[in-house]
Amino acid sequence: MAEASTKTPFWRMERVSKHYGGVIALDGVDFQCERGEIHAVLGENGAGKSTLIKIMAGVVQPTSGQMFLEGQPVTFPTPVAATDHGIVCIFQELSLMPDLSVADNICITSPPGRWGFIDHKAQKRRAEELLARVGCADVHPGELVKNLPLSRRQMVEIAKALGREPKLLILDEATSALTSADVEEVYKILARLREQNLSILYISHRMHEIEQLADNCSVFRNGRHVETFDKGTRTDDEIVQLMIGREYSQVYPPKPKHAVAPQPRLEVKNLSWEDSLHDVSLTVGKGEIVGIGGLDGQGQRELLLALFGVLRGTSGSIAIDGQPASIGSPGTAKSAKYRIALIPEDRKSEGLMLPMSVRDNISMASISSLTKGLVVDRAAEDQKIDEMVRKLSIKVGDLNDAVATLSGGNQQKVVIAKWLMTDANTILLNDPTRGIDVGTKQEIYQLLRDLADAGAAILYYTTDYDELIGCCDRVYILYDGRIIRELDGDDITEHNIVASSLNLPLEQREERAGQ
Amino acid sequence: MGMLRAVDKSVIIAWGFVVLLLATASIVLQTGSFFSSQYLLQQLQIATFLGIVASGAMVVILLGHIDLSIPWIVTVGGMMSTAAAGWWDPALAVPFGLLAGLAFGVLNGVGVAFLRIPSMIFTLGVNTVAQGLMVLHTGGFAPQDHATDLMHFLAVGRTVGNIPNAVFVWVLVGLLIVFMLRYTPLGRYIYAIGNKEGATYLSGVDTRLVIIGCFAISGVCSALAGIMLAGHTTKAYQAMGDPFLLPAIAAVVLGGTNILGGRGTYAGTIAGVILITILQSILAVMQMPEAGRQVIFGVVIVVMLLVYGRGQRVQG
Repeated sequence: MAEASTKTPFWRMERVSKHYGGVIALDGVDFQCERGEIHAVLGENGAGKSTLIKIMAGVVQPTSGQMFLEGQPVTFPTPVAATDHGIVCIFQELSLMPDLSVADNICITSPPGRWGFIDHKAQKRRAEELLARVGCADVHPGELVKNLPLSRRQMVEIAKALGREPKLLILDEATSALTSADVEEVYKILARLREQNLSILYISHRMHEIEQLADNCSVFRNGRHVETFDKGTRTDDEIVQLMIGREYSQVYPPKPKHAVAPQPRLEVKNLSWEDSLHDVSLTVGKGEIVGIGGLDGQGQRELLLALFGVLRGTSGSIAIDGQPASIGSPGTAKSAKYRIALIPEDRKSEGLMLPMSVRDNISMASISSLTKGLVVDRAAEDQKIDEMVRKLSIKVGDLNDAVATLSGGNQQKVVIAKWLMTDANTILLNDPTRGIDVGTKQEIYQLLRDLADAGAAILYYTTDYDELIGCCDRVYILYDGRIIRELDGDDITEHNIVASSLNLPLEQREERAGQ
Repeated sequence: MGMLRAVDKSVIIAWGFVVLLLATASIVLQTGSFFSSQYLLQQLQIATFLGIVASGAMVVILLGHIDLSIPWIVTVGGMMSTAAAGWWDPALAVPFGLLAGLAFGVLNGVGVAFLRIPSMIFTLGVNTVAQGLMVLHTGGFAPQDHATDLMHFLAVGRTVGNIPNAVFVWVLVGLLIVFMLRYTPLGRYIYAIGNKEGATYLSGVDTRLVIIGCFAISGVCSALAGIMLAGHTTKAYQAMGDPFLLPAIAAVVLGGTNILGGRGTYAGTIAGVILITILQSILAVMQMPEAGRQVIFGVVIVVMLLVYGRGQRVQG
């Protein structure tokens, strides 16, 4: 840090914070990077990496703090402002228009023009030149983007970014869709760009990539910048240690000790789906809470959707209570035969109809069984809803109020109530505690444990590894659509979860007594 | 329902427009006859056709879809019922007309729900197919096109005092729709799909069946209106349904139903239907040439929809 103070850093952030309502995504972050270096950013889910990038790219505004480019204070009210200053971001999701040509895509923000018309010849020349710079001279500028393989599209994306003449290039998981041969290509390009004195910020979950590529690394944790260090000065183990260490703020209900292995309720064998799931085999027993961990987007969401009958074209087998099950739709999944429930990821778009009443939302999944003849039995419906509202202590003024008027925690309880009302005994949860208050979280942990004790089988995906440790009897870690590790009992530790999520070996066995 | 207050507001606005229109016309034309019971009853009778068509249109719009095959399904209803009377027996006229409407409705539903073709395109295609079939039907040979006694009775007969039977048919259709929307699971599912189809599907609801059901209801309503229209004019004829499409959709939306689905009440649709009917009647009374009438009608509807659309977007 001493040398940094002697010269003006290329990019510097001072005490930058970002609050979303009561949630602190970034907390007084100081961060800087230089030209001609590749700077890797590491951190667990929710560590603040994405918020950092979004602020740098002008997508969101910091709540407080200052940013300096070459010593000059800057603000980016819009993404265009950031691009004008030479800060260009390549996001994880491809931003290309599939039905436009490569040249059109590359020049989309500022096509070369003549008298107000696009000069197609100049555009083609420019595209060729940029493609050559990223080593893709073989891609024809007139080709439609949708006809290119994924790896080539990623290259076109980089070419497009270079067309904006960046001084600071941000890559957010840019290699996650690429094969290893393509990744090598990206490395070469990045190395070349470094020689051209660009500053490159590189976000990746792949440890070996960072080792190979980065000049230095910054680790983020809990919205704070923990440490920046040069490549090679820290071992993998030390890096993992830097990434973990969140304070335990939750109190979890005690886990029961199973004397004998519980009877399996849900057995999955070799479940595969497109490129997202590969030969996933797992079991969830009666009375068991089984966690699914791993970094975001490793197939966890697809796994739950596949078990709930949403995905078409899955292979492999599913058995419920020892009987082979064929689950073709959520309607089948919730039927009396299988009794499966899914608490979906995004309550606002998948769990609730926000403008509709609390009542209508709670009874949505079970209303067809609450009828007298054709008509909804309002008395029976109200009685069950009352029961659920009391059981989950949902704070609601009037059941006829729109569910949108409730707090996030209470909304989530409404989603859970909806599914408890169906008498499900296999419960799949997709990150149900995201964005809700601590009090409600604890109520949900207790509820899950109560349900398990009453015989339910619970499969619980969460991005918060505290919850995996505190709530789950067993944990499967997914990496790239595969289960790469199963952790049981005392093996469920922060270190093991983080290391497994990064596909690193577990901590040394001899450190643990009795093994 | 939580959105009751917002919807009530648009119902009130729609009724306000009705009174305002009548009052303005009375002042401009220097007459009090717009508020006479005879005039109003006459308008109510005319409104029944639009009211029945709009009932079906509303159910589909609540889903977030649209049914553009209304014009020719109305015609199918009229022509198939009169034809059935000629082919077989007058008693089969009404059931066969409704059955034909149901068949086209189910076809719409299958196209939207299973083939996943946007309703705007698919129902437009079905409309054209229906048109072609009806042209074929009247062109090849001379089918009966006269309405049966029952159709006549339903459309213009009077059994209770001075009130046309058609009004009771509309009341019956309205009660069935209100019952379905408010008291059955199907009604809940319709609002739910209009709000978030994905979330409804993830609640284990067979959304495809609900969509087919709604288009079927719309088909039956259109055919019923066609049957009664044939009874009213004593004949079924080509393009008899053409004047209904825009007014039906406009009536539903003016009544406060969100054109994107998920929100709306039948009370609003009634208000919208009366509003459109009165507007058309006043333009006719003012003895404006047909062309000018159409321009004003179209402009008024677009302006009103703009006012409504704005309010709803703010609420959303």
